[in-house]
Amino acid sequence: MLVDFEVIKRAQAGNAPAFNEIVLAYRKRTLGTIARLISRPEDVEDVGQEVFLRLYFSLDQLRTAEVFEPWLYRLTVNAAYDYLRKHRRRMESRMSDLSEQQVMLADAMAGGRVDHEDRQKKQISESVDAMLSAVSEADRILLTLKEVEGLSLKELEKIYRVNENALKVRLFRARQRVLKAFGESGNEPQAKGAAKAQV
Amino acid sequence: MNWTNRGDHNSALDALFRAYRDACPDRDASPNFMPELWRRIEERQRSVFFLGRWARALVTAAAVLSLGMAAYLYIPHGPNSMFSVESYVEALAAGHAQEAPDLAVDEL
Repeated sequence: MLVDFEVIKRAQAGNAPAFNEIVLAYRKRTLGTIARLISRPEDVEDVGQEVFLRLYFSLDQLRTAEVFEPWLYRLTVNAAYDYLRKHRRRMESRMSDLSEQQVMLADAMAGGRVDHEDRQKKQISESVDAMLSAVSEADRILLTLKEVEGLSLKELEKIYRVNENALKVRLFRARQRVLKAFGESGNEPQAKGAAKAQV
Repeated sequence: MNWTNRGDHNSALDALFRAYRDACPDRDASPNFMPELWRRIEERQRSVFFLGRWARALVTAAAVLSLGMAAYLYIPHGPNSMFSVESYVEALAAGHAQEAPDLAVDEL
């Protein structure tokens, strides 16, 4: 826990400085999670504010300190899910507007302005975004939480409120679907490059 | 390296996810984050408040209307009123006489 339960209790009682303290403690981590879940940097703060807005209005339902973090994750997941569903159509049309050549040209032109490392990060981010766009929002979020955020099955159990076996099945199926999209998207060279860069 | 088999796909996917994690580190918010958050909270509170007021006003109006209707029904009106104060048998007899006066005369 990044804050004491006392602070949460004070926030529940309507204490604005206590709520600010909670937001300040969890803001960075929450925004990072949202950024990785939605892959749209320009909308991260908007979704982050929605998460803390929901937190503010549902704080009085919280009973014990130990469920606070999974609960905040749950709010984050729900807000990201709502965002992804709302923007899926828009994202699809945007992707179809740009041909692969156009994307490469834009990247090449951007290359003059941003350095190599930033360009590589952007490429990785876009590859993962494009690959995860091929599966459902639920699969995308579940896999990102497990594979990118590095959450354990126990933590995911608390967030999703389902047992470990059901989660394993869902994870396996989600991964199969992503693998299929991964194979079809031709991301292997990208992944190979990323793996090399990590070594 | 051959990237076509499933095992390689799995490890390539893992590598891509790790690279993605590194490419998107935790980020801090802009200075406008907190003021904008509080603006949204206050906006939501205001809308909830107004919705509550509307709901209360609606309930009050419905209660007043119900009481008015009840009072209107309870207070006796004149004999030509649509709400009669005569007994059921009296009302039935009167109704029968009004509906079939000719039939009664022919039979006699």
